[in-house]
Amino acid sequence: MNNMSPEVALHRISPELRPLLCSVVRNGRVGLDSTNCLRVTDLKTGCTSLTPGPCCDRFKLHIPYAGETLKWDIIFNARYPELPPDFIFGEDAEFLPEPSELPHLVQWDAGDPECLLQLVKELIQQYHQYQCQRLRESSRLLFEYDSLLEDPNYGRNMEIYAGRKNSWTGEFSARFLLKLPVDFSNIPVYLLKDTALDPGEDVALLSVSFEDAEATQVFPKLYLSPSIEHALGGSSALHIPAFPSGGCLIDYVPQVCQLLTNKVQYVIQGYHKRREYIAAFLSHFGMGVVEYDAEGFTKLTLLLMWKDFCFLVHVDLPLYFPRDQPTLTFQSVYHFTNSGQLYSQVQKSYPYSPRWDGNEMAKRAKAYFKSFIPQFQEGAFANGKL
Amino acid sequence: VPGFAAGGSGIDGDVSIMAASISGYTFSSVCFHSANSNSDHEGFLLGEVRQEETVSISDTQISTAELLQVVEIHNHDPCAQLFSFYDYAGKVNEDNLNRILKDRRKSVIGWYRFRRNTQQQMSFREQIIHKQLTQLLGVPDLVFLLFSFISTANSSTHALEYVLFRPNRRYNQRITLTIPNLGNTSQQEYKVSSVPNTSLNYAKVIKEHGAEFFDKDGVMKDIRTIFQVYSALQDKVQAVCGEVEQSERVKEKIQEDVNKLKQQIALRKRKTAEEERRLREAQNAESHPTSEENSEPSETSLLSRVAFHAPSAPERPGTSPNPPSYSDLLSQEDSLLSSSSSPTSAALLPRPQAVGSPGHPTPGPLGMGLGLSLGLGSDSLDRQAAGQEDDDDDDDDDDDDDEDSSEYENLVSEAAHLPMVSASVLAQGRPAALSPDGDARGSQTS
Repeated sequence: MNNMSPEVALHRISPELRPLLCSVVRNGRVGLDSTNCLRVTDLKTGCTSLTPGPCCDRFKLHIPYAGETLKWDIIFNARYPELPPDFIFGEDAEFLPEPSELPHLVQWDAGDPECLLQLVKELIQQYHQYQCQRLRESSRLLFEYDSLLEDPNYGRNMEIYAGRKNSWTGEFSARFLLKLPVDFSNIPVYLLKDTALDPGEDVALLSVSFEDAEATQVFPKLYLSPSIEHALGGSSALHIPAFPSGGCLIDYVPQVCQLLTNKVQYVIQGYHKRREYIAAFLSHFGMGVVEYDAEGFTKLTLLLMWKDFCFLVHVDLPLYFPRDQPTLTFQSVYHFTNSGQLYSQVQKSYPYSPRWDGNEMAKRAKAYFKSFIPQFQEGAFANGKL
Repeated sequence: VPGFAAGGSGIDGDVSIMAASISGYTFSSVCFHSANSNSDHEGFLLGEVRQEETVSISDTQISTAELLQVVEIHNHDPCAQLFSFYDYAGKVNEDNLNRILKDRRKSVIGWYRFRRNTQQQMSFREQIIHKQLTQLLGVPDLVFLLFSFISTANSSTHALEYVLFRPNRRYNQRITLTIPNLGNTSQQEYKVSSVPNTSLNYAKVIKEHGAEFFDKDGVMKDIRTIFQVYSALQDKVQAVCGEVEQSERVKEKIQEDVNKLKQQIALRKRKTAEEERRLREAQNAESHPTSEENSEPSETSLLSRVAFHAPSAPERPGTSPNPPSYSDLLSQEDSLLSSSSSPTSAALLPRPQAVGSPGHPTPGPLGMGLGLSLGLGSDSLDRQAAGQEDDDDDDDDDDDDDEDSSEYENLVSEAAHLPMVSASVLAQGRPAALSPDGDARGSQTS
């Protein structure tokens, strides 16, 4: 199956159908997982082979759903572009939605470019219902579903995929994909900007796979949109507790939610704390500030003088400040090391408490500088060359 | 296989197998309509469904009845456009359906769809429509024929695929569709299917020209003619049976006579021997020549035979044009008798003849043979015994391959070594030499 870029697909499709496909491939996001957009492959034509192109009018649409990818065939007729399409639902041969539940099919309007996308969304909704019906084969999983449904936080943002792993042994499995209601809006923008990918919507999805109907093998997995993942500190942010045996989703999911929320809070707090810290240092050291990171507040450089001895202090603030202590790097402006660098000393442990506020930290830092500098000066003169 | 659920609802509980066939011209017509359409294409299938029950009995098991549902597609009704009898939601409009089908509605057994470059699977809308059609048309096992045209990317190869579904069943939804006489006919016979020819033109032509081939009852004339020939042959065979019976009886009688005569001969021999012994004993005193006694017994035997043969003249079935009169025969025999020496006792015994001797000896050559045998003595008789069939073959140009008559030949040949009178009469009496025109040939004299 060739991976077709959206532009190629749009180029090959019959001109009358192009607008419909356009809205699907360019902006089409269906379902919870909005990081994966809809993909189109296997573009074919229903016209005779001698018809000059472009005249493709049927294709396969890949739709991410509950961690799976649905591959649905969509069949138009290029000669009659005003007619609504037909569908083949791939392996889900028993999925037969009720047409009355598909308003965009019943009132198909080929002139509306969004019509196809809307129809697909309606079909996905029906598909979701169909999958929930299939959960009835396992009372345990049905219970999980029902309990989640009742909770307004999760009930409306759920995708279920229920199926048989092996149609002969009849091992029943299901996957729940839940959108976690975590608020990412207060995450400092600078954290979110620094990604190479199109960030899209910030979302956290929890996927829980039940490999058997009795819920003895449960595998949860957390998916974060790339910017969030980066903002929270990379892949380590994806570590979540294992599903407790005998536990149920209605207990577990809020747990994970809370964990994530805490992390986010921490990051937000950290940002604010850092900002506070830097602000305090600015006010305490005034003209001594050389430069500081005005976006993320992660760095600060001071130029100080003590008894005619000038030195630099670089302050590096970690992500989980104030839990983690800032690193102080003292640097002499006169002396070089053998390798041609300015002579410096790093101090990671010094009197510090995360409970101090910015002002307090600045004061204490000042005091520490005074006590440490003589030592540093000696070192500089001893080890460095002018 | 879970398809055999007991007490299944309606159609699932039926365990019948389905066989489907479509006539070659209907199939090609559907393909033609489909291939020429520049979009998807659909239509209805007309035909009939019948049930065949096969009961198989074998020694090892109780008889099993197999129910076979046979679907025959006779014709198709293409739809002029898509969505002609259903709307966007897939709801079937019964009025439109009736307008399209008109009075053909009752012979609808399924419907078909053609779509290029798609999977061999029923689509969403097709399934919805199928359900409704099943209900509206009242055909519980409505079939769906899906045509798919797959072309390679460079249009070098195109494949027309077709699958027949019976979607109203839960399992075994795909049925094999056979097209009679499409396939490797070098190994099969050309089959005549039971699909009726619905062409009006065909019916008209047959009606016009049929009188040349069919009689008023609709039976082919050739068949009648052949049947007549057959009947005539049967009559002849029946007649021949009668003749065979007669000649068999004659043969039996003659055989009896022969046996009796043999006994008499034996008796006389014994008597003669005894007398001779007595004479010799008597002649021990005096001696007597007894040369003339040899001829006596044979004369007596000849005479007795002459007398004997009269009542045994078998009936000939009036087919011989010129049967020789009795007096002719007698004069013949007399002349022969006078000219010949008395045949030895050996000559009077029947000679074994080869079975299956070909050809039919006519009495003409036979008569000659007889004449020869008697004239030339015992040597010639032997020769005749062996070579009789060859002579007959030479003279007999016609091919009458009738083995039965060769056996009669044998009888005749045997009889040839008896006194001529009986032999030639027997020759007359041979009824078995039938020529193709049904006439017995045994009676012609050359």
